[in-house]
Amino acid sequence: MIQLRKDLMQLWHQQLTFKIAASYIGILLLLIVALPILPVTYSPNELDLQHTFAKPFTSGSGAPHWLGTDVLGRDVWVNILYGARSAFLISFPVMLFSTGLGLVLGISAGYFGNTGLKVSRAAIGVILLALLCIAYYGLYLPLSLVETGLPLKYTWYSLLVLLVLLLLLYKVALPLLKKWRFAATRFNLPLDYLVLRLTEAFTSVPRLLLILALVSFLQPSVLLLSGIFAATFWTSTARLARAETLKIKQLPYFEAAHSLGARRMRLLTKHALPNMLGPIIVTFTFSIAGLLALESTLSFLGIGVPGTFVSWGRTIAGIRSNTAAWWLVVFPGAALATTVWALQTISYHLLNHFESKR
Amino acid sequence: MLQYILKRFLLSLPALWLLVTLVFLLSRLLTGTPGAEQILQENGGYYSKGSAAGREQAYKSYLERTGQNLPLFYFSVKASPEPDTLHLVYPESHRAFLKKLYWQYGNAQLVNQYYASIRSLEHALSPTQESEARLYFDILYRTTSPESINLAIAQLPQLNFGNTTHTNELRAAAALLLENQQAFAYLVPFWRWHGSNNQYHIWFTNVLQGNLGVSLRDGRPVSTILYGAVANTWWHILISIVLAFAISFKLGMLLVMPQSIKLRKVVLPTLFIIDSIPLFLLALLLLVLLATPSFLQLFPVYGMGYYIAAGGTWLQRLSIYAQYMALPVVCLVLGNIPYLTSLIYRSFSEESKKDYARTAKAKGMSPRQVIRTQLLRNTLLPAITVLSETLPALVAGAVIVETIFAIPGMGRLMVEAVLARDYPVIIAVVMLVAAFRAVSYLLADVCYSLADPRIKHAAS
Repeated sequence: MIQLRKDLMQLWHQQLTFKIAASYIGILLLLIVALPILPVTYSPNELDLQHTFAKPFTSGSGAPHWLGTDVLGRDVWVNILYGARSAFLISFPVMLFSTGLGLVLGISAGYFGNTGLKVSRAAIGVILLALLCIAYYGLYLPLSLVETGLPLKYTWYSLLVLLVLLLLLYKVALPLLKKWRFAATRFNLPLDYLVLRLTEAFTSVPRLLLILALVSFLQPSVLLLSGIFAATFWTSTARLARAETLKIKQLPYFEAAHSLGARRMRLLTKHALPNMLGPIIVTFTFSIAGLLALESTLSFLGIGVPGTFVSWGRTIAGIRSNTAAWWLVVFPGAALATTVWALQTISYHLLNHFESKR
Repeated sequence: MLQYILKRFLLSLPALWLLVTLVFLLSRLLTGTPGAEQILQENGGYYSKGSAAGREQAYKSYLERTGQNLPLFYFSVKASPEPDTLHLVYPESHRAFLKKLYWQYGNAQLVNQYYASIRSLEHALSPTQESEARLYFDILYRTTSPESINLAIAQLPQLNFGNTTHTNELRAAAALLLENQQAFAYLVPFWRWHGSNNQYHIWFTNVLQGNLGVSLRDGRPVSTILYGAVANTWWHILISIVLAFAISFKLGMLLVMPQSIKLRKVVLPTLFIIDSIPLFLLALLLLVLLATPSFLQLFPVYGMGYYIAAGGTWLQRLSIYAQYMALPVVCLVLGNIPYLTSLIYRSFSEESKKDYARTAKAKGMSPRQVIRTQLLRNTLLPAITVLSETLPALVAGAVIVETIFAIPGMGRLMVEAVLARDYPVIIAVVMLVAAFRAVSYLLADVCYSLADPRIKHAAS
């Protein structure tokens, strides 16, 4: 962590573009945080029907529209500010979640490989049963109950049953099964193979197409869309974490820690993880840029997000009803492109820096 | 080599199968009965004049026609009180009402009896009575909690239907239902085995035989729709990939020349900036700047110009098509050049530091000769890897570009299908693109062995 801060400071002093990009992102984040107390005169979904397609710097019914309005008289400047907020509110949690998922899958695939993890047949059986229980009592029942609109107590019952079943499986079924010779036999779990096949299945179609397909099955909702993003963005982190773990596994210091008898958890979190932090941060920033672009693209196409969702893409889409309204493309587009540029620049410099250190 | 390719191909099949199966099952699980509401809405004018029974008939025949009356998968696990035929109940409000009753009272038979007695009472009424009692039945079809059912049943005598047998039947059914409530029955899962007569099995065998089903929107076979769309997209993708690679190689070679330091300082940052403009923004900017009357109108705006180009010689037709294809192709090329060029430039500059390049230079070759005769072949390898990635990625780019320029290709087909929730088409597009990607990976393998004979020996 200290090393990371030192690296960042060094980059800040050496690279001018890094400085510009980082301060742009910093200012943008500051604006987003300070948005509730900023003196913005319109709300992003407020219609000013007297002043539709108003040019920049024209007066509105309240305060002037600094950057013009769109087809329904929504203020472009306010929409850019709030659009930035929703873009980051989607992309940060999604990337945190999918980075976590990718790290867990990638590191375990790289560390255990196809032969490193030995499990007894009993454990596999119990895990499968537990998954089935979770799917039924933890997913199917609650979701159906929400759909039918029955009182909440039904859901609590189902979750209670789930808890009891899981406890039973772990405390009673597993020890009992292990007494049986056949079930106690241990075999190698091909974890690496499984993770690789899973990543392959998720990447065998371009991400945009996969997301379009998945989105079409659901009602437009920001939360569901974030879930779909998270479910499709873990693959790059997983691949990277797997490759890094394979590399680190063979380094002398790691073998030394291993032979000193460090626990597996300690090995992975204290020795492997810090060493791959650099590349992970690079992918993180890079993927955030990708997510921003993807979110705007989907809002531009009007797919997967409700019409009230404030986004740069939604404002840009206004150009389709009036191709002369250049301000609908130029300002939000500039905001989008600059943000993506800044994130990519940061990740580019970080990458160069980490690579030159190796 | 052939053996190796075959093996790679077979290995890529499980992932493909997994993806397609997931997409199919999700499309059915998450949406209920896709397309039904559209069918009924489209014919709303006709059916609204008819009776509710006519509408129910239409719904059932729609389910049968599309095979959706069958179970989804080989087996199903449901909460035990919910019968397997729930999705056949027609008005959707009744389906939700029944489901709630099943889950709450836990006894499918008694619930069905209660529901049937409400319906028989409703059908036994005369038209004037029915219009008076409309509100009462609407409430009855919504109340599920024991207290409110009791309350509603208690109101029965005041309504004076005059039809005592049906009223008594309903009262008895309601009493029976309320008495025998099994509130926790929903916690018990019930497993049903359906055998091979299910939607997934039929769909999958059809796909294996090349039958992709019928579009929910217009009833045309999906393969016909796809064929027309692919033909358009294919040309765009092919032309853009050839152009993008040609330009990137040329640029990469130029940049790696020792005398082009200044060029590097201009071109690399420019490429970086182009790379940070999302494709849809790039396409829109080009559209607004070059194809609208408010600025410069150099190119036609929308479509492919089929109607203009119907007559004329092939040269005339080609020139018209070229006008329409210019902007989309420029977008796709610009979207791909930055990454490609920087990759090719990097691999050129890495290769030029190696011993064999220095030897060639020492023998007196000019820098241009060194690049063309010595370095080019070695830089092909990373370029091929990227090629197999770029080809499918171009389909995603086509989604955006075709939507903006209104080209009737695969991408626009996908967007329209998503907006109209036309699942057979969506699944078919996903499948096609996945297969396309698998093929492009194979193609890359073949190209590898052509570019570097060592790989061929290693594989065989």
